[in-house]
Amino acid sequence: MSLIQTHSASLAPGAGRGAWQPWAAAALLVLLWWFAGEAQTWTGGRTLVFALSIGIALGVVLQRTRFCFYCHVRDWLQRDDPRGILAIALALAIGVVGMTVVQSSWVADPRAGQLPPEMHIGPVSWVLVAAGLAFGAGMSVSGSCISAHWYRLAEGSAVSPFALIGTALGFAIGFHSWNPLYSLAVADAPVIWLPQHLGYGGALAVQLSGLGLWSAWIWHRHIQRQAASTRTAAAEQARDLRSLWQSLWTGRWNYALGGALVGLISVAAIVRMRPLGVTATLGSQVRGALQQHGWVPERLNGLDGFAGCATLPQESWATPNALVLVGLVGGSFIAALASRQFTPRLPTRKDALRGIAGGTLLGWGAMTGLGCTIGTLLSGGMAGALSAWVFGAAMLAALWLGFRFQAWQAARSAA
Amino acid sequence: MTTTVSAFALRALAIRVGASVLLATLAGTALANTAASASTGPLVTAEWLAQNLNRADVRVIEVSVNPGLYERAHIPGAVNLSWHNDLNDKLRRDIVSKQDFEKLLSKAGVKDDTTVVLYGDTNNWFAAWGAWVFDIYGVKNVKLLDGGRKKWEAESRPLNNRAPEYAATTYRVGKVNLDLRARLTDALAVAEGKSQAKLIDIRSGDEYQGKIFAPAGVPELAIRAGHIPGAVNVPWGQAVQEDGTFKPKEELRKLYAGVGIDGSKPIITYCRIGERSSHTWFALSKILGYDVKNYDGSWTEYGNAVGVPINNPAGTVWAAK
Repeated sequence: MSLIQTHSASLAPGAGRGAWQPWAAAALLVLLWWFAGEAQTWTGGRTLVFALSIGIALGVVLQRTRFCFYCHVRDWLQRDDPRGILAIALALAIGVVGMTVVQSSWVADPRAGQLPPEMHIGPVSWVLVAAGLAFGAGMSVSGSCISAHWYRLAEGSAVSPFALIGTALGFAIGFHSWNPLYSLAVADAPVIWLPQHLGYGGALAVQLSGLGLWSAWIWHRHIQRQAASTRTAAAEQARDLRSLWQSLWTGRWNYALGGALVGLISVAAIVRMRPLGVTATLGSQVRGALQQHGWVPERLNGLDGFAGCATLPQESWATPNALVLVGLVGGSFIAALASRQFTPRLPTRKDALRGIAGGTLLGWGAMTGLGCTIGTLLSGGMAGALSAWVFGAAMLAALWLGFRFQAWQAARSAA
Repeated sequence: MTTTVSAFALRALAIRVGASVLLATLAGTALANTAASASTGPLVTAEWLAQNLNRADVRVIEVSVNPGLYERAHIPGAVNLSWHNDLNDKLRRDIVSKQDFEKLLSKAGVKDDTTVVLYGDTNNWFAAWGAWVFDIYGVKNVKLLDGGRKKWEAESRPLNNRAPEYAATTYRVGKVNLDLRARLTDALAVAEGKSQAKLIDIRSGDEYQGKIFAPAGVPELAIRAGHIPGAVNVPWGQAVQEDGTFKPKEELRKLYAGVGIDGSKPIITYCRIGERSSHTWFALSKILGYDVKNYDGSWTEYGNAVGVPINNPAGTVWAAK
């Protein structure tokens, strides 16, 4: 597999169509540079600028590698292309290794009973499973997870704006259902941090071998199916520096590169700043606004005691999480514009309905699960939280059911 | 008749009111004490600090001597003050200047009402020295984390390596208290019998006896070995327990009373470069409340000074015997 894969269709000269886009990308880069300069002067400016930079890097990587949990699972289940799902496994594996190295220094004795502060290690109960299922269903209906909706804004997606509105709505509903669920199950649910029970070596071994076996199984099944079909054509190689540069901004980057970069960026964020999460900003804004009007109970029992995508309203909007989000949207815009992949279209009624319905499920799942695919699955999984794997499994199950349903529907309409 | 009754009733009422006021005050102080008890003494426990780490009016500062220790991992939110570069004058042998000290504290976001908690490596020696410097410059609420880094790590409490960013303040030093600092002349006065102060040499027995010039591996030595005449020897380690925390107040009092140090006369502590003696200075001054100066020139100054009287029981000199 070459480092950069190119799609011949996108290599067609687009001098006329969308020629303004790369310029817009450059202008946006300048704007973000200026913004970073401003942010440097604010309280905690150094960390804010780092957050912005990490967000931009993440946005570029997500857009350029089309790193979306939903799409990767869909490609695997519907098109038998496992590269995406393997990239996710790679991101998790790199993250787990990196975090083991870091955490073994920060919390030298994991068995002492103290959880590493701030890591997204959550309570495991049927509520978490429900959250994962809802999140997976939301992904099926809206076509992406929350972080992907953010980056798809940069591609002019017609569904994503509605999905994000739906997410806010889902959060609101989640805040309402939290207290009853907390009393019912979450309050007594165990918060399981794998290294506490297995030691760092044991947790690393279990998680890496789990990921490894799963990846091996996926790959093995894929190879078996491939034996029947013809081989795909080899990707075109770049010939000189100019075409190499251009190839960066066409098509999509190599899957493994995407997975590796996402893993590394996540570790870098934790080491320097705090675990990555894309729902904290939206969640806390919703919570703050609704609590002001009394539409959400003032006391959300135990919620702020859990580490995750915290939704405690902050005094200032300029938090590291918010700047990661600004960077993420900005970075994906830069990447999309530079590759002329910003293709907006007017939304239809179906887009709006899909977006709002799916988004609501996503929001409820993310609020109840204390994070989404980035916050709970990626950041939590890297830190050795059992909640991450439970959430991920439930999410996958819902996605699988969704695809089964779609296949059944297609077979029915074809018949 | 009525006057006697009313007088009696008045007295009874007064007693009742007085009793309830007394009870209320006691209850109030007890309540206040339990809330702030850990933060009213000169020491804080690791438990208290762990629970109060995120308070805006608490500032944790690490003063360690081993390079790279803070950078690799430190108490979350702690600011680093380098003993070599920040708390000492880099040109002359002196403590940091007043202006530079103000700059350091401003950068760390320390205000007048901030509770500063110092901690460090090597048994809090350099953190104690830091506490002494902080006291000279009149910082109001300075505490030492009992047991230092070692205790924090022993209790498996989390660390991280993120350098914190606090909003800078404009910290101004009020009165500079140089009474805490002993100079060569003060130590000499005791040696020559001209001063009533008590000298306490907190180095190891071998250093005190003159058998060795300094602990192994230490580059700053002196031309002569031994101790200042009139000094008693209580190695610093006798003031702490196994885990590095200070011994209880009563035990400390007895320990030092055993060598004639009971606070009735002013005390001067010294060691080799003044940081181990800060540790004992802290115990004597902060925990026991005696009048103590720290002689930071210590043996590297006295043992190198020309013509001063010295006691050298072991008789070690640089030339062969």
